[in-house]
Amino acid sequence: MDLQNKMEDQGETLISTPDHPLNNAFGSLNDICYELSSLQELACRGSWRSILDKVTRARTQSLLTKPHEHLIYLSYYAIALTKLRRFSEAVTELDSLENGLDNVIYSYENYPHHYPNRYGSMAPFVLRWLYAELPSRVENRQETLDRFYLLLQFVREKSTKSSSGMSDDIWRKREGLVINSIISHHLSHKEFGVCLDLINDLINRESTPVARAVLTSKLGYIQMQLGDLEGAKASFAAVEGVVTKEVEMKNLVNRNKALMFMVGKDYVSAVREYQECIDRDDSDVVAINNKALCLMYLRDLSDSIKVMENALERVPTAALNETFVVNLCSMYELAHVNHSDIKKTLSNWIARVAPDDFDTSCTRL
Amino acid sequence: MSSTQSSHSLAFRVMRLCRPTFHVETPLRFDLTDLIIGEDLLDDPSAAPHLLRLLQSQSTAIDSSTDLTYSNRFLLRDGLSDAMGLPGMLVLPQAFGAIYLGETFCSYISINNSSSFEVRDIIIKAEIQTERQRILLLDTTKTPVETIRAGGRYDFIVEHDVKELGPHTLVCTALYSDGDSERKYLPQYFKFIVSNPLSVRTKVRVVKACLENNTKSNLYMDQVDFEPTPQWSATLLKADDHHSEKDALTREVFKPPILIRSGGGIHNYLYQLKSSMDGSAPTKFEGSNVLGKLQITWRTNLGEPGRLQTQQIIGNPITHKEVELKAMQVPSVIILEKPFTVCLSLTNLTEKNLGPFEVLLSLTDNQEEKAVMVNGLKRMDLPQVEAFESLDFKLSLIAVELGMQKISGITLFNTMEKKSYDPLPDVEIFVDA
Repeated sequence: MDLQNKMEDQGETLISTPDHPLNNAFGSLNDICYELSSLQELACRGSWRSILDKVTRARTQSLLTKPHEHLIYLSYYAIALTKLRRFSEAVTELDSLENGLDNVIYSYENYPHHYPNRYGSMAPFVLRWLYAELPSRVENRQETLDRFYLLLQFVREKSTKSSSGMSDDIWRKREGLVINSIISHHLSHKEFGVCLDLINDLINRESTPVARAVLTSKLGYIQMQLGDLEGAKASFAAVEGVVTKEVEMKNLVNRNKALMFMVGKDYVSAVREYQECIDRDDSDVVAINNKALCLMYLRDLSDSIKVMENALERVPTAALNETFVVNLCSMYELAHVNHSDIKKTLSNWIARVAPDDFDTSCTRL
Repeated sequence: MSSTQSSHSLAFRVMRLCRPTFHVETPLRFDLTDLIIGEDLLDDPSAAPHLLRLLQSQSTAIDSSTDLTYSNRFLLRDGLSDAMGLPGMLVLPQAFGAIYLGETFCSYISINNSSSFEVRDIIIKAEIQTERQRILLLDTTKTPVETIRAGGRYDFIVEHDVKELGPHTLVCTALYSDGDSERKYLPQYFKFIVSNPLSVRTKVRVVKACLENNTKSNLYMDQVDFEPTPQWSATLLKADDHHSEKDALTREVFKPPILIRSGGGIHNYLYQLKSSMDGSAPTKFEGSNVLGKLQITWRTNLGEPGRLQTQQIIGNPITHKEVELKAMQVPSVIILEKPFTVCLSLTNLTEKNLGPFEVLLSLTDNQEEKAVMVNGLKRMDLPQVEAFESLDFKLSLIAVELGMQKISGITLFNTMEKKSYDPLPDVEIFVDA
């Protein structure tokens, strides 16, 4: 039974309960949608297979009573498939939306019994984002770029047409999100020129010094990646000028300093800067990872391995990511002639602890 | 990394240690607002305040440092730049990669003792072998490593500036005493090829250097300088910077870089040459035509440097034509040993008067008689020719050999400036009996 039929059926059979502001229909996640807090918890734990089960069960047992719930469940389902790298299935799931998201059947006003005096699209914005992102995961990068640029236009139009300050904020936020996604795609393809222009646009749009500082740091990383060390130095200097008490910002400044030391091959000073970060926040995985790399460049492979293993033990949910494991496995391959043994031990530990979407190919076993 | 023979306690492990790169990806992380409510729901004035309160309380719950979930893999934190997928995390070089002339080859080398016995008195050597030479990078002969315990390692890092093209071999050898006090020798070989990173093509006059990137990375051009010989000075010619208005903040930190695209991208550099003596543009190049050379430095990821110097760049002889000498009319029938007249034209291409001139038929090096000779005086005088004007004159010639012959060697000499110009291009004639 396809989605459209389901939603229209429920529109006919239920008695509507008008929303009353005093009732606060949105006190908790479950007020928004059936068992949404359970879905959300599973997602935060990375239990994507359980999410697939839960959505399938909700559908087959007809547990969802309102049209918008179907769309939320569809979103979590599509995200789960994408997380599990089952990309073509995710595409199929999105294709089940009849004639795209702008179809009137996905609007509040189509179900006045459920949503009196409510207008507009009930589709979560993530569906538009996924629609743009998925082609790149099935070898059609150009389509993704086209769709993201179109989505950017869409979001900008929504922003200018928005009826309230809150709504305008949310569309402006989405505009920032889409620009960030576009930058990530250009970065993956080393199209640095356009990235630099887009980042400068983002920096100019930001109103808070902290947000600008974070973006300017990323500008610095891109400049460093392509070899423009003078540009990176200037970017990091601009970031240092932002005064703050926040641990996150202080660590950002130290990490930027460490990077400048690294490119100057002063690995000892870089390690010192990273250590300051770790002393302030022992779950700063970027600092831990980069410190371990510096130790390698200082010919101290043993200590670099220790730093990495120690982090995985102490703060697994922060440290367990694919990049971290790739680096640790490179170190194992260098340190051990028979490295498959030690990698197997790591791999077994990962299997016990990691979320469903962890890409185990990073161990190169 | 090549495997060892089973009889050895030691084995070399090698990892190329060029600079790391930043990890980049498109993360699958979302903002709660985009997940759990309709995209237009905040347009509803009755719903919006409650929703915002709910969303706020949800995100505070997640931000707490006691969060022991993988929400960092699912949710975006405040300030969406996490969505850019550039957290600043560095990744070690994952493959040996391509090595180019002008780069520095750097490698982490680890000798592992995978046996259950200690090894002693280890003499380690590392050298690079090319077709032309052997370069020693490390030699512990004078101070051998005393011991490597069972399961232990000895590490070192070597660096070598790559100055030769073609096949290279990193040869690592260890001479050691194993568990049975037997002296053993372990050689290991790691091969790589050095390629040319840039094709440099120059056009001389204004020196135009066209740089083509033959590598697999984009190259950030740090410095491309033309270093002229002492008789010239060079200025880099740049196009106007046409970038649109930028914010004061970004203009301070941001200068558009010169980046040559990987796999065949091209960038041109133009240098205007001036004579360092009188500041005039080069109109002629006498004697040595050496103009200078290009010094090129570039950078790739995290500033990994490379540098190259070109060979001397040569100027063209007489690059700027001052005069043009043309044969306007040659008789169609030429009879052996009968004088014939050739009409010639001399044009002054410059803005100043030139001359007076002499026209001669110059002899070949070995003083042989030519097939076609001047009938009359060897030398003909011509008056000064004004700027941009032409002068027509006639030469009487005589052919002394039959068949296909060439009128060659008609040379123009400027008696005032005491210099000669390129001769008239050969004219082919048929000499009949």
